[in-house]
Amino acid sequence: MVVRKVGKYELGRTIGEGTFAKVKFAQNTETGESVAMKIVDRSTIIKRKMVDQIKREISIMKLVRHPCVVRLYEVLASRTKIYIILEYITGGELFDKIVRNGRLSEAEARTYFQQLIDGVDYCHSKGVYHRDLKPENLLLDSQGNLKISDFGLSALPEPGVTILKTTCGTPNYVAPEVLSHKGYNGAVADVWSCGVILYVLMAGYLPFDELDLPTLYSKIDKAEFACPSYFALGAKSLIRRILDPNPETRITIAEIRKDEWFVKDYTPVQLIDYEHVNLDDVYAAFDDPEEQKGAQEETGDTGPLTLNAFDLIILSQGLNLATLFDRGKDSMKHQTRFISHKPANVVLSSMEVVSQSMGFKTHIRNYKMRVEGLSANKTSHFSVILEVFKVAPSFLMVDIQNAAGDAEEYLKFYKTFCSKLDDIIWKPPDGSSVRNRATKPKSKRR
Amino acid sequence: MLAFVKCFSLKRTKHPPGYEDPHVLASETPFTVNEIEALHDLFKKLSTSIIDDGLIHKEEFLLALFRNSSMQNLFADRVFYMFDRKRNGVIEFGEFVRSLSIFHPYTPEHEKSSFMFKLYDLHGTGFIEPHELKKMVGALLSETDLELSEESIEAIVEQTMLEVDTNKDGKIDEDEWKELVAKNPSILKNMTLPYLKEVTLAFPSFVLDSEVDD
Repeated sequence: MVVRKVGKYELGRTIGEGTFAKVKFAQNTETGESVAMKIVDRSTIIKRKMVDQIKREISIMKLVRHPCVVRLYEVLASRTKIYIILEYITGGELFDKIVRNGRLSEAEARTYFQQLIDGVDYCHSKGVYHRDLKPENLLLDSQGNLKISDFGLSALPEPGVTILKTTCGTPNYVAPEVLSHKGYNGAVADVWSCGVILYVLMAGYLPFDELDLPTLYSKIDKAEFACPSYFALGAKSLIRRILDPNPETRITIAEIRKDEWFVKDYTPVQLIDYEHVNLDDVYAAFDDPEEQKGAQEETGDTGPLTLNAFDLIILSQGLNLATLFDRGKDSMKHQTRFISHKPANVVLSSMEVVSQSMGFKTHIRNYKMRVEGLSANKTSHFSVILEVFKVAPSFLMVDIQNAAGDAEEYLKFYKTFCSKLDDIIWKPPDGSSVRNRATKPKSKRR
Repeated sequence: MLAFVKCFSLKRTKHPPGYEDPHVLASETPFTVNEIEALHDLFKKLSTSIIDDGLIHKEEFLLALFRNSSMQNLFADRVFYMFDRKRNGVIEFGEFVRSLSIFHPYTPEHEKSSFMFKLYDLHGTGFIEPHELKKMVGALLSETDLELSEESIEAIVEQTMLEVDTNKDGKIDEDEWKELVAKNPSILKNMTLPYLKEVTLAFPSFVLDSEVDD
């Protein structure tokens, strides 16, 4: 196997993929340090005349050191690609935590919200705006602290940013003034997104969620949403002040910091001083489109993540000691897996078609699909997350988790879903196919 | 705080075998005395759920992990074995705290990595061998109700050996394991329990009510 290298970085597996950018795991061969490498096509940036803005923001991000913001170490370039070297964060997405454990407790949601505001405020003070804050951009480090990713990278051509022009991506987190194509203030728009995130952390579902875009836009525009009754009064009033459709009267970060609900148990994070930082790499990467000595090209390998034996083994409940500390607040969480020997794109598109035929909305990102909609009785939200992995040369594993909605609903969904996917779900040859698809609760905790 | 400690030492005589002074444990682990006290609460619940003797028996451990004391699970057996440092078939309080400390967010990665390596080295030979990997993959698949043929499991193991066994001696040694961890830190993700950092705050409302398996 050929080891692919970019500069001093040895490339590993792909950990994320969008329409225009790809993220790979990489290792600094000089220090052994693990990093994430975001790879972007140079031509798309130049074509979109975004060079100046991106250069400015990436330069600032190199200077930014904040415990709640993913660090940008350096930028490399080849003739056709730009490589952005970022801190590697191991704890996964905050969103996945909500998927696994359901909505967070008030205290936990507040802690993450405080860290979010701290990081966002700090970047704003340096003149960088995020413009695409959403749970997928909120990561957790190994100690469970929040890390905001993609700060200052929003001008890069990613599906999330192009929502203004096209309808792909999810506008659920975007401020009304952004949707209405008026000029907008990045700081004020970020505050709105923080409000939506706070809502999601505490409720486990979105404040604005509609099956059709025109209705969604109109609800966002009027800030038409309802807080569940279990939200504390203080949280409700803060969320109302943040989700103010008028950017002029919307609460500012400085005011959020004085809010009674916000300040509870607040400990400001310790800032890290930054040493002298060299920005030559950033300028070099963007300034000279013609004469770049090549960091080596790597060929595009697409496909779902491959799980090796060890990746599989850690899925065991026997190795999940977090269960000992489970606070038991959740109702049953369901997780199911099935095996398929069809190609990944066939599996993914079949699942997409089937979900849509059942009246659900789908979002696909890499090999992960979110299925969302209203529950059968139209009173609550229902959603599941499906992720496709490669396990053996000719086998895929699809992991399905219930993200919102009750267990009964999930079981019903899963049964219908599977019956329509009969030709992609692999059954063992001995005919004992029922067990293969048996759903079982991840834990029987109440 | 002083009063707390005093009240605590008065009670000492009542403690079951294997109990250790929180101050001693605190000096050897990343936990504070208060956190060890909180862990003791958890330990008490776990160790009295079936047999009220202040020791965690295998059945009690399985009950806590699966809500089923007769669950068959290779990995839970291995974790229990690793926690039972004295190899006397039960987990004592000191063993519980010292073993959990490896899962603390502040514990260096190499300690976590080495714990996991030993856990996977089912026969204690100092190597993870293909037959052990095969057994573990098989155990995981049957735990999750997935059925793959013998050949497919072998293909997974073969692929993994190809990736990990860089010196091609047919088994995975600890250096090769460390290389794999460096390339793919997420395989250690179960080795960190963020709860342990806030164990006094977010104390488990872990209630083993009356759902003892019958």
